[in-house]
Amino acid sequence: MMNTLKLYVKSMGMLIRSHMQYTSSFIMQMLAQLVMEGGEMMAVILVVDRFGSLKQWTGGNLFFFFGMMSVSFYTTEIFGRGITGNFPSMVRSGQLDTLLIRPRTIFFQVLCSGTDPRRITCIAVGVASLIMGSAMSGVVWSLPKALALAESILMSCMLILGLFLIEAIFSIHSVKSVELVNAITYGGRSACQYPIDVYPGPLKVLFTVVAPFALTMHVPAAYILGKPLYGWPAWTAFVTPLSGAAVLAVMIVLFNRGMRFYRSTGS
Amino acid sequence: MSYIEVNGLKKTFTVRKKREKGKLFREKQTVEALKGVSFSVEKGELVGYIGPNGAGKSTTVKILSGILTPDGGEALVGGRVPWLERREYVKHIGVVFGQRSQLWWDVPIVDSFSLLKDIYRLSAADYESRLKELTEALQLEEFLRTPLRLLSLGQRMRAELCGSLLHRPELLFLDEPTIGLDAVSKLALRDFLKWENAEHGTTIMLTTHDMEDIAALCSRVMVLGHGQKLYDGTLPELLEKFDTVRTVSVKYDGALPDIKLPEGISFERGENELSITYAPSVFPTAKLLATLQEAGRISEMTLQPENIDRLIAAMYKEMDL
Amino acid sequence: MRAYFSVFRMRLRMETQYRGAMIGGIVCQVFFGLILVALYRALYAGNPQPVPIEHVATYVWLQQSFFRMLTSTDPDLLDKIRNGNISYDLCRPVSMYWFYYVRAMAQKLMGSMMRGIPMLIFASLLPKGWGLEPPASPAGLVLALAALVPGFLCMCALANLTMGITMRTLDPRGISAMLDLLMISFSGNILPLTLFPDSWQRVLSLLPYAQLLDAPIRLYTGEYAPIEALRILSVQIVWAAILIGLGKGLWNANRRRLIVQGG
Repeated sequence: MMNTLKLYVKSMGMLIRSHMQYTSSFIMQMLAQLVMEGGEMMAVILVVDRFGSLKQWTGGNLFFFFGMMSVSFYTTEIFGRGITGNFPSMVRSGQLDTLLIRPRTIFFQVLCSGTDPRRITCIAVGVASLIMGSAMSGVVWSLPKALALAESILMSCMLILGLFLIEAIFSIHSVKSVELVNAITYGGRSACQYPIDVYPGPLKVLFTVVAPFALTMHVPAAYILGKPLYGWPAWTAFVTPLSGAAVLAVMIVLFNRGMRFYRSTGS
Repeated sequence: MSYIEVNGLKKTFTVRKKREKGKLFREKQTVEALKGVSFSVEKGELVGYIGPNGAGKSTTVKILSGILTPDGGEALVGGRVPWLERREYVKHIGVVFGQRSQLWWDVPIVDSFSLLKDIYRLSAADYESRLKELTEALQLEEFLRTPLRLLSLGQRMRAELCGSLLHRPELLFLDEPTIGLDAVSKLALRDFLKWENAEHGTTIMLTTHDMEDIAALCSRVMVLGHGQKLYDGTLPELLEKFDTVRTVSVKYDGALPDIKLPEGISFERGENELSITYAPSVFPTAKLLATLQEAGRISEMTLQPENIDRLIAAMYKEMDL
Repeated sequence: MRAYFSVFRMRLRMETQYRGAMIGGIVCQVFFGLILVALYRALYAGNPQPVPIEHVATYVWLQQSFFRMLTSTDPDLLDKIRNGNISYDLCRPVSMYWFYYVRAMAQKLMGSMMRGIPMLIFASLLPKGWGLEPPASPAGLVLALAALVPGFLCMCALANLTMGITMRTLDPRGISAMLDLLMISFSGNILPLTLFPDSWQRVLSLLPYAQLLDAPIRLYTGEYAPIEALRILSVQIVWAAILIGLGKGLWNANRRRLIVQGG
């Protein structure tokens, strides 16, 4: 276990050093990311400016929800880039072969194979939005609330990683379905940066049962904001996010099963 | 029981054909990459595995290194089934792909090695001593701090070898290791492989298109074609058996004379060159030379041995494939 | 001229090939549209706005349907810029600007037609307030279609302008990502321009980005009265001319620079 963690940290360090070999390009792209995520936040600010509130949620609440999604999504991109970005091309190029001859699980090695440190600026935007939202909503922070936030972000990351694994599984079977899978990953990000209860039934079901952003993100966020979702008791804010880990676990099992059908390409 | 035991190995791939006009979905087609291949290899052997593209060489290597699961047949390497306990199994093998890097592109190669140390859970002492030994044997000391992308192809291949031998595998697979290398690098690579085999008794199995690799390294050669094993034995025997024809090119002073050759000997007339393919066992070389000399004044003549592709083609013909 | 026509035709045929990706793209785009409409409906509940929700829904569907017109880039051209082979193209005797302009036209037209039309049919079947409304008036429809032409010319010109800038920078990803962001924000794709603050709208509607889809859509929904059409079309045409002029100038400058520097 210790060895595994050490290996992950070491791999990440090496990848970051690789990125740093191209410093100016790296800085340029970091700025581009900042502007892009800033643009996303701008859209929320404009919505709040125009409408003031979204059903029971105030503008400050909306910034908080946006920040949660932003931090979770881009943290996943930083630490799980191997899954969220590299995997399909690793299958296509046959680079996956080189992982299969190492005495480690494929999932872990893929995780070690990529990082996207440029996203740090996106996370900065997300954190700013969280702070702004929390201040505007008058959140009184306490230890349980801080724990709920930490758990929520961790579990949301696992959920997002799990959803990206769907694309990875498809690509093992050489199914080109990127856009279809994007509906659930990027579509989930777009939809669930606003609280789930504003959406009609089918979307609620989709994002509660299939891709449970509502459980990993909205239930704890609503608890932190002092407006429990559906009036659910406080303990649910600590239990429902675990569904993120469950989704990831299921997807890892399916991924490993899918690897059995892997047919490497090239000579 | 031999170290590697392969019995009736089968693998089929499904490929999707290009979508035909008017059809919504593409049709599928199955390709048999391996049609029941069997062989055994003893510990410490150096075996060459040759055959044309698409013969199933890489598929065999990939199955034996745990990358692919076969559809049928058995394989045991050192008492283990490669594809069943992949993670335990690959600790004991090393694989070098000639066209695919396993090291990290942008970092010094020693950093890649250090990461491999952790991946294989090597102790610091084992790692240090093995690294020292390998960098000396492969003459890599001066490049250790250089990123892989700045190395030449030959240096890169040596670094790849070092990376795949750090964990002291009992068995090393090399998939076209000399592809694209210059003469000096090829010779150095062959010397190293001989040394590794002699020094540590590492079993080595290599696929190649380069007959000289085989001639220089392998006591034994297996020929694969159309998913089947066509030959298994020593290289000289293989040559004797199938290398039955020779090609001679002759140039004459002045115009090409008319030459009468017996039936069954094919020749091509170039502008001022004649190239003749003949079987020495049927039409002795001495006799041919006499015929050629009678015809005119020879200015230049070359006798070429058969290349691997013609050889394999001759084998196919004889095996009726 | 014949050469440009055959480039156009070849590109059209290429676009029709990736049927699987197309179906996936439609599903994804429809899904995004549904999410956006659901969100705006929720925002409208309790916060009524001068622009009716039906118009916003229509706006969203038209934007989503023609999304490919906005963003699709020529992957071959990007590759050529990345690996430097663009220098060979630029030094050819024919105008590479128009060569790639025509390619962009074919790609954007076919891509958005094949995805857009099924989506529009789907959207018009949705219940009132969710889906695509019929146009405000027959004149509105005709003028919207007319405005789509200069809008389309602007889009292709912008794509080439972006490429021209991309060629200048060593690392294309950063700069082209930022230009794309400007494009999808200020063309009304992320948030309908009608929902931007009123003071912003006055400026935004004069920017080139508003000429692409926003102006035709507003003519369609009737937010711009048919009587304003002449003014709107003139703005569009002026922008199309400016963007093409700028793009051609930039490409020519790039070409000169290449020749001087020897690639």
